[in-house]
Amino acid sequence: MADLRTKIEALLDDNRNEEAIDRLCGRRAARDAWEYALLARAYFQRGDARGDLYAGYFFANRAQLAGFDEPWLDELRSQHAEPAAEKKISMRGLSYPFDAVSQQSGVGTAAKDFDWIARNIPCQEACPAHTNIPEYLTAIFNGEYDRAYRLNLESNVFPGVLGRVCARPCEDACRHGWDGLGESVAICHSKRVAADLKESAPVVLEKWYPDSGKMVAVVGAGVAGLTVARELARCGHAVTVLEKHALPGGMMNQGIPEFRLPRDVIEREIEQVQLLGVEITCGVEVGKDITLAGLRDVNDAVVLAAGTLRPNLLDLPGKELSGIRHGLDFLLEVNTHGTAEIGRHVLVIGGGFTAMDCARTAKRLGAATVAFDNAANADVPPGTVLHAPRDHVGVWYRRTHNEMLTTPGELEELGHEHIDMEFLVSPVRYVGEDGAVTGVEFVRNELGEPDAGGRRRPVPVQGSEFIVEADTVLLATGQFPDGEWIDEALQGSLLDDDRWLQRDRDGRTPLEDIFVAGDYADGASSLISAIGHANRVARTVDHHLSGEMRVRDRVRIVDADDTGRIPEMDAVPLQPMPVCGVAQRDLTAEVETGYDDALAVDETQRCYRCHYKYEIDSDTCIYCDWCIKVKPRPECILKIKELTYDDEGRILGWEEATSTDETNLVWINQEDCIRCGACLDACPVDAISLQKVDFETAPACGRNAESETT
Amino acid sequence: MCGYGVYMPAREELTAVERDKIEIDPNFDFRDYVGVEFDDVPANVMAMFKWAGVYSQLQKGFFMIRLVTPGGLMTTEQFVRALELADEYGQGELCITTRQTLQFHWVRLDDIHKVIEGMQEVGITTKNGCGDVTRNTVTCEMQGVCPHEVGDDVRRLIDAIATDPEIRDRQRNLPRKHKISVAGCGKACAQTLINCQGWVPATRENADGATEVGWRFHAGGGLGARPYLAKVIFDWVPCDLALDVARATVEAFRRRGDRRNRAFARLKIVVDRMGPAAFGELLIDILKERNIDGVDRIESASDPTPYIGASFLSGQGALPQKQEGLNTVRVLIPRSEIRTETGREIARLADHYGAGEIAFTNRQNIAIRNVPEADVTVLTEALHKAGLQTEGFERGLDIVACVGTTQCKMAVSDTRESCLALKGSLQADEAYWDRVGPLRIHFTGCPNNCAHAWSADIGLRGRRRRGEEGNVQGYSVFIGGKLSGAGSIAEHLVDVDSDQVNATVRGILDLYLASRQSDQETFIQFVERITVDEIRAALFGSEAADG
Repeated sequence: MADLRTKIEALLDDNRNEEAIDRLCGRRAARDAWEYALLARAYFQRGDARGDLYAGYFFANRAQLAGFDEPWLDELRSQHAEPAAEKKISMRGLSYPFDAVSQQSGVGTAAKDFDWIARNIPCQEACPAHTNIPEYLTAIFNGEYDRAYRLNLESNVFPGVLGRVCARPCEDACRHGWDGLGESVAICHSKRVAADLKESAPVVLEKWYPDSGKMVAVVGAGVAGLTVARELARCGHAVTVLEKHALPGGMMNQGIPEFRLPRDVIEREIEQVQLLGVEITCGVEVGKDITLAGLRDVNDAVVLAAGTLRPNLLDLPGKELSGIRHGLDFLLEVNTHGTAEIGRHVLVIGGGFTAMDCARTAKRLGAATVAFDNAANADVPPGTVLHAPRDHVGVWYRRTHNEMLTTPGELEELGHEHIDMEFLVSPVRYVGEDGAVTGVEFVRNELGEPDAGGRRRPVPVQGSEFIVEADTVLLATGQFPDGEWIDEALQGSLLDDDRWLQRDRDGRTPLEDIFVAGDYADGASSLISAIGHANRVARTVDHHLSGEMRVRDRVRIVDADDTGRIPEMDAVPLQPMPVCGVAQRDLTAEVETGYDDALAVDETQRCYRCHYKYEIDSDTCIYCDWCIKVKPRPECILKIKELTYDDEGRILGWEEATSTDETNLVWINQEDCIRCGACLDACPVDAISLQKVDFETAPACGRNAESETT
Repeated sequence: MCGYGVYMPAREELTAVERDKIEIDPNFDFRDYVGVEFDDVPANVMAMFKWAGVYSQLQKGFFMIRLVTPGGLMTTEQFVRALELADEYGQGELCITTRQTLQFHWVRLDDIHKVIEGMQEVGITTKNGCGDVTRNTVTCEMQGVCPHEVGDDVRRLIDAIATDPEIRDRQRNLPRKHKISVAGCGKACAQTLINCQGWVPATRENADGATEVGWRFHAGGGLGARPYLAKVIFDWVPCDLALDVARATVEAFRRRGDRRNRAFARLKIVVDRMGPAAFGELLIDILKERNIDGVDRIESASDPTPYIGASFLSGQGALPQKQEGLNTVRVLIPRSEIRTETGREIARLADHYGAGEIAFTNRQNIAIRNVPEADVTVLTEALHKAGLQTEGFERGLDIVACVGTTQCKMAVSDTRESCLALKGSLQADEAYWDRVGPLRIHFTGCPNNCAHAWSADIGLRGRRRRGEEGNVQGYSVFIGGKLSGAGSIAEHLVDVDSDQVNATVRGILDLYLASRQSDQETFIQFVERITVDEIRAALFGSEAADG
């Protein structure tokens, strides 16, 4: 007992009053005189405005009634007979302006408005096209597929396509995937639902501006070219897209296999671009059928969106052997003609989107065209993926799966399709006989320091070389923009020494009427990155043509009654994407069959709807803490001693209060808020407001422009 | 909130509280907790202690225990037992609640069963003292002895409700708490309008020309953060159907209360959302489902607007009973706190001069019953000698206040301190209080409004405000609450810091005294006549905004 008392006194000496109270009452409530006395000391010392002074007196009296007669207790009590000295708290940012955004309702364009979006809607911030993800997920949850699709379409020309093959940076950022909050929402799969279940009629967005009389040529009918084209058409310009292949779509058609992306989905969404007045002319190769200078002569602007068609071929001994080809070339052939020559042992070298598509395509093609001696699953129809033996196709990658650039779930599907992967291996030479490749010699790697992109660099292990049998080698080792088709006379102005386009981040080139968009500007990335870039370039082009910045981002803030969420939605698990059976998978059967409406509801309810903003009016708040009592997250509502802002009013940080007295604000930390609404319901004085804060892109001039109040 | 990994499709499921209500048996045997460490009791189990009348206190390790005393009556034997237990296990004090019962504070986990069993031995339970159940049934403090009491069905109905197996034992998983008032007559003494169910005796002439007694039934009242006044649901409920209607109301609440959102779960929200007429139809449907005979004898309200008479309690220290020659003597209990030595003296006097029966009042005082006319003066003197007051009821110093931040986890302001400070500053000026006349001041520590600030003449509700450095304790001041007529909810006048409470109350009353039309105009009549906005302008200037 004496030992315990000594320990508690030590805690009190250190002003660790909470711990002392826990020790005195956490096991069994105080009963002895000395316990009462120490409790009195703990409460007096803590001195919180809520009941501590009363409790201090109470326990001091109890202690004395129980016979405690040490003089310090009397002294302590007399010290607290007078009102506590006024506490002086150093304050900055005292007057919380109750404005995480620039206003309570209306349209805002202040820095803090965009800052709020960036901090609070991580999916939208991560999406290169800044799609209004929470709002379209809400629409899908409500069964409003047409509205969801249209919302998507505003910033992403290809919702149906991206609903299948997006690289999904949004899902990496999703709040639901943060530590302790479960798994990210399946945004991509959900997005597809809107495209699959909306009304079948094409959706044609309204034009923002009347015909301008300006003409624009776009070179390349891939996602970037078509995005620029549509955006410029919305601005009233006459746009013609020139495509050297037989079909528009670029990588959508020529790169991505049909079993991941059915062609009718692409066609429908390209048609929507055409219905806005965009002309698409296929089979015309600029630099051959028409010169760039010729295009400049008849257009007010030319946008180069020619993609990345220059393959990165490995300069290895034996590279001239037949059977070695670039993966993109292979995919183009299969996607154009439905077939290509392929051997019994296919090695795919690489670890990105193209490698995955090459391997899965090769497996299907082999199953359909190669007579295997060791055909697996003889009862499976030829042409389906399991017909080919396990050793038919393998993917060989120089790093590990952690460094691969693939879409979630794709590696699992490779496993289901009996495609083996070998990691930490680099090719060092090709082996051949009679001019044909018969194998590849690899060396094993270990991971070294991260490279400039942050991925760990593979380092060869000397002496670990080995040869693997192969009769077909597909190189999925990257591709670059090709500048050789540009008129020689213009190459000097447009190309850098490394043969890449000279450009700024908004797509301008040294020639004021020539712009560059998508992968052709920055190299191969993802479809959504190309779309995001193309959106930005379209504004640049329109500015060039009109002399004004006629398309602007803004933030719309509207009052809301509730978010439509209930806390239990947080516990709903990620809904898996239904897939067709492995035995049915061939070159055309779509593997992912898509959510139905019920699964879509189950999945989209998981979205936190981060575009809602709960905020406490500190002038109405009575500091009752009822919101804090119901908060679901440790840091979503805080008692704040001090907030700090920058000059633009953006919140930079905070310091929590340690007592009732020094609490200046009861403050919703919106970055940790999961939008459950429990605080709003609990607030007894209606101090908490709810607004929906939407990021929008809209015309800034003319009759369609909406006045802004900032 | 349920844990991750539990499949929860897109439909409304049980909240964590609702799940606990199903999964945790509220029939605790607190002997099982002897020797259990406080920190080892899961928070959700401790929350369910409320169903046994046990509530964890602000100070860690200690509990409040609330008794159930239907109609607020206790024998002195029972009262003395409570005092003994408070001495032994409750640090020597008891509190009287606005629902006419007693609370122990400072009880340890090890001792809970001793208090509960000790009270059970004298016939008093703590079951349903708190929690989402039907709480202690309240009535007027003179019930059973009041000359105004109508008919002889009042006590029967109180007891029937309090002991009904359906209401008491089976309906223990309601969406939220449920409160019933049974009045002795048509006056406001039983606070009909702020209860979920409000029963008021009614009379009419039957076909034979004889006077028949039945009930007028109100529902949907309640204060809390969002105040509602009850509406008339049935103009007439025959006595033999009153319990069935009470049961049907509880059942309607069970079915329709919003279990997803506790802030909107009370019956008052159900009635408000449905409307009183539709709610009445629901009750009729439930009665018919139950094959209750004679439902057609129930008459729906011709007008849902209540019409409650003014309380006849207005300052009387002693009240003549309907029993010839007997009186009820009232004892003012400062801030509802009874030290056990004081309680023993009251019990002794009640035994000596009365018949060993006391009543707890909804203004947190004590009434000693059945005192012969000849003994009223001597009893009063004895009470004064014991340091107790027997005058000033329903006047300025008869303040209702909750425990505030002293012991309650919800409170934001120290109502106890503010209440005592106001009393202390004004107590000496008896002439002033005489001039002011009837006045009900209530201090409540938080928006839960346990001390009924919404229905007071002057109600002060705890708040804190952002100060220059840190925050400052204070109150929102409301005026004009009324429980008679159709009732009225007090309106917000101003927010003040705690150190301004006394001056503000005095300022309001000075204005009233200076502005009333006559000595007969009561404070509430004054507020109704000139409006809160005008009072605010007069006190704080015309530019003063609301609050």
